[in-house]
Amino acid sequence: MPISWSTATSTCSTPRWPASCPGRCRRSVSSCSTRHTTSITSALRLSVSASASRRWKALNETCGASRKRLIGRFKATDANRLRAEYNRLVDGLAQRGNLPISDAWLANPALPDDILKEAVPGNIRRAEHFLAVLRRLVRFLDGRLETETVENEMPVSFVASIHSQAGIDQKMLRFCYDRLHSLMLTLEITDTDEFMHIQTICDFATLIGTYTRGFSIITEPYDERMPDIRDPVIQLSCHDASLAIQPVFDRFQTVVITSGTLSPIDLYPRLLNFNPVISRSFTMSLTRDCICPMVLTRGSDQLPVSTKFDMRSDPGVVRNYGRLLLEMSSAVPDGIVCFFVSYSYMDGIVNSWNEMGILQDIMQHKLVFIETPDVVETTLALDNYRKACDCGRGAIFFSVARGKVAEGIDFDRHYGRLVIMFGVPFQYTLSRILLARLEYLRETFQIKEGDFLTFDALRQAAQCVGRVIRSKADYGMMIFADKRYSRHDKRSKLPGWILSHLHDAHLNLSTDMALHIAREFLRRMAQPYDKMGSGGNKTLLTEEDLQNMAQDAMEM
Amino acid sequence: MGSMTIGAKYKTTLKDPGTTGVLRMNEDNFTFTPNDPRSAMKLNVDFRSIKGHKFNKVDGSKPAPPLLNILKDSDKGGGYMFEFDNVSNRDLCRDFVARVLGKQQGTVPPRLSVLPENSITSSGPEQLSSAEMQWRMKLLQEDSELQKLHKKFVLGNILQESEFWATRKNLLDDEANKGSKQRPGFKSAMLADVRPSADGRTNKVTFSLTTEIIHQIFAVKPAVHRAFLDFVPKKMTEKDFWTKYFRAEYLLRTKNIVAATAEAAEDEELAIFLKNDDIVAKEARLKIKRVDPTLDMEADAGDDYIHLLDHGIIRDGSKVTIDTDSDLARRTLLQDLNRHAAVVLEGKTSDVELTDTKTVAEALAKSRKEPHSSSVSDDTNHERLAKVARMIEIEDLQAPRSLPYAPLCIKDPREYFDSQQANALRSLGGNNDGRHIRSSRLSADDAFHHLLDQISSVKVNGLNCPVVHSDVALKVLNELNEGISRSRRLNLKNPQEGLLGQIPRRTRDELMDHWTAIQELLRHFWSSYPITTTVLYNKVQRVKDAMTQIYQKLQDIKESAQPDVRHEISKLVKPMTQALDAAFNHDLDQQQKSSKAGNKPNGF
Repeated sequence: MPISWSTATSTCSTPRWPASCPGRCRRSVSSCSTRHTTSITSALRLSVSASASRRWKALNETCGASRKRLIGRFKATDANRLRAEYNRLVDGLAQRGNLPISDAWLANPALPDDILKEAVPGNIRRAEHFLAVLRRLVRFLDGRLETETVENEMPVSFVASIHSQAGIDQKMLRFCYDRLHSLMLTLEITDTDEFMHIQTICDFATLIGTYTRGFSIITEPYDERMPDIRDPVIQLSCHDASLAIQPVFDRFQTVVITSGTLSPIDLYPRLLNFNPVISRSFTMSLTRDCICPMVLTRGSDQLPVSTKFDMRSDPGVVRNYGRLLLEMSSAVPDGIVCFFVSYSYMDGIVNSWNEMGILQDIMQHKLVFIETPDVVETTLALDNYRKACDCGRGAIFFSVARGKVAEGIDFDRHYGRLVIMFGVPFQYTLSRILLARLEYLRETFQIKEGDFLTFDALRQAAQCVGRVIRSKADYGMMIFADKRYSRHDKRSKLPGWILSHLHDAHLNLSTDMALHIAREFLRRMAQPYDKMGSGGNKTLLTEEDLQNMAQDAMEM
Repeated sequence: MGSMTIGAKYKTTLKDPGTTGVLRMNEDNFTFTPNDPRSAMKLNVDFRSIKGHKFNKVDGSKPAPPLLNILKDSDKGGGYMFEFDNVSNRDLCRDFVARVLGKQQGTVPPRLSVLPENSITSSGPEQLSSAEMQWRMKLLQEDSELQKLHKKFVLGNILQESEFWATRKNLLDDEANKGSKQRPGFKSAMLADVRPSADGRTNKVTFSLTTEIIHQIFAVKPAVHRAFLDFVPKKMTEKDFWTKYFRAEYLLRTKNIVAATAEAAEDEELAIFLKNDDIVAKEARLKIKRVDPTLDMEADAGDDYIHLLDHGIIRDGSKVTIDTDSDLARRTLLQDLNRHAAVVLEGKTSDVELTDTKTVAEALAKSRKEPHSSSVSDDTNHERLAKVARMIEIEDLQAPRSLPYAPLCIKDPREYFDSQQANALRSLGGNNDGRHIRSSRLSADDAFHHLLDQISSVKVNGLNCPVVHSDVALKVLNELNEGISRSRRLNLKNPQEGLLGQIPRRTRDELMDHWTAIQELLRHFWSSYPITTTVLYNKVQRVKDAMTQIYQKLQDIKESAQPDVRHEISKLVKPMTQALDAAFNHDLDQQQKSSKAGNKPNGF
């Protein structure tokens, strides 16, 4: 029985920092790169969602079972141990041996210091009392799921209604996470998977008890797109990325944030709520023009292409996109990666291509592999894709922007000589969570909705196309296939390293022109080149070169 | 070829301090005269008794004297060992010996051919393994084209043996690796995705099957294959089997879940086709353990929140809600595509002639069993580690890695000449059909005015004199006739023969030989840039000389050709001369650059 109750809460408020951060030294430098920053700024959805009442029941049962098992366990356990635990809880969590103020905070939801220092409130110190509180909480949530309308609440009002209906106050909620953690440690429970759901509930409770702003609780009785199918979900959504990064700034004196997709660079300090000491954008030091970004606005029949809502299902656009891929697959060696704006769009367009016969033509040139929601299948597809590229057969990989592949898999060298971004990967704008987040951003940071959406979409696009080049010796082409990329307000939000290679002549291409450019580029790049180079043109710098450069910089 | 005289030490064994003396060599024999006239170490050996030579590698790491061993008989190992003062002397000598031997053995008929495989390498391991020599010999014997090239360049002293083979290293490796012929794989097209054809009048759809399609269906869907082996012919006939299969396929295609469920409940054989393929699922579980660790997304599933099935990105707009309880297949096109591509990539394992469904099924079953026994976890583990190691290194700092690839077998490379020529011609702006556009000196405007003038003059003067002069008319007629007959001749010809078909066979072969020779030379020419060592410099000079010769020969062919094919020949020759011109120009540029710079870059 798949239960879609997420475990998000427990960890997601703190993105996974490099574990090598030197421990207690205040002067240490913490640096984080793309994946971390993306997870902070974009998502940070501390979403706790329970969907489908049926599943909810199952969850309820497991929670009940978990509780019973807990009770069973502590009845059997030595009373002395429980006694000792009680004492520890009185003294405050910080004094316990098993939760020292150390790097353990990295694994917890961002708990304020006072939680660690304060003593656990008296009415949940005893295990059976705590379990009763949990039971009431679950019953309360169960009741909220019965709703027929979409509700969007701030944590304060939600906590107030919990207090009035279930008799649990904010302080008790705040300690749920730690109380459960402590209980499970005391009972020496190892099969934590079984208690995952009750943990999720406790995480949820702790978060709403701790934060009064920056979050909202959204209850949806059904999916917006399928209003006749009941599928209730409670989601706790975090709108404020600065909450997650705050502990890092508090703990480390020097924080370096680096990424290839931090643009526009001035937006990040606002989103993450800090004052940068130095913010600098560096150009890529390439020995040759090894990336070739292009904006394709028209298809082979000179009609505009776009994934705009009114155009995306137009057969002409679908065909033009297909022809583009077909032409490219016959001209580009080895691997090609395609990114689509969403799963459903990819599914639709691949089916259309299949019916039009374009897919069959494409398969004459290269094998086709596709990302699916199934992780195992996607992994195998990726593995096969690499094999096909390795053996010279050549392959195409279809993937989704914001998907797992776009976030984590590199298509460097022959694994990706061309990446095509079909459309602009805007978020689904009717999503309740997004709407709530946009509202928060507007009220708190005065960031306009349109600006944020464009920024987010272009960052995703840059993230996708950036997969293709990972080193100086590598080379690859990037095609932004949508007429909207030719507009300055969109394009200018791309990172500098792409813009600096985006020539004016490549801004408004049709399929045939793009094909011509691609052929030229590939011919030029495929030549063997001298890695040693001469002067400042070296791919590999020696120690001497570095010293010379440093001297030059000093003289200037 | 002449002769050479050089000071050397003759050694009977490796430990022998040696006798100093003078080594004289000419085309027929070599003699050694010791400095000490009393010494008995005088030699006079006929080169015909020599089978090959060996030499040692000398680098700075260990103080070894440069040696050359001229072998009397490669099997017995008897020979004459000489020690030289320095490496360059030795190399001169070695090259001389190689040349003499090559010349001698080149004249030997090919069936005896002991081509100078033994006289090899200026760098790399001091001597080649006998296996590699045999491969080289085999390659030369199998490929007459290669042999011709080898004779022309290596024996013509344009390229060194090692240089010649260096570009063909892959060829050697492939031969060494498998030595079997290329196996045909599955077609890229999704044959298994049989589309029904409806006749439009009745309520009937027709699926058509061939053995090839069946083979692909079996390969892509192992469960169907298993069902076939189980049911046919014990339980049902083959026809019934396929009818059921396509019925299930049709239900899936129309996404008629209700009907599919109903049918599956009634007919348990049909239900097999509707269910998820358990064999594929099992294979997937095995394969997932062997994937590249950097790709293993299952391993870090749960580290982020993208996988969560809420109303987020994954369920973005999907129309159908999926009943997770049903064990009926929810196969999508995307999954089919992935599965198909994976099967194509794996390739066929059997070479059985596809004649009968039963044999297809059995052959496939046999080939399925084989890999199971051989898949050793130890091996895969090792492979996995190698993959990890490869992913963590920084590419900028590494030498380029040559990946294993599936070699292409081309029956006759000449068949591709035409297409290459066509491309070259297209880029020249010429047209392909044998006619060329006459460049007109008159613009359209001029012609129009001219015509107007003529008409007005006719209007004024009346048609008292012919508009066109008779001699002009005759000329035009002749020209047109010629054009028509030429195009008819072209059209009547076998279209596949193309340009080449019009030229006499002898000239054609000659041209082809030149073409392959030019390709080989150009490859060596361009690969020697940038010139960083004397060796490369000398090589470029040699290659350049050879190219000049060929250039001359091409010109000769062009001039001596019959008038009726001269035009065609010149068109064929043009891309070749252009390629050569480009090379010459490059060379000129480089020379100018280096002379301008005064100091030679890279010390050369």
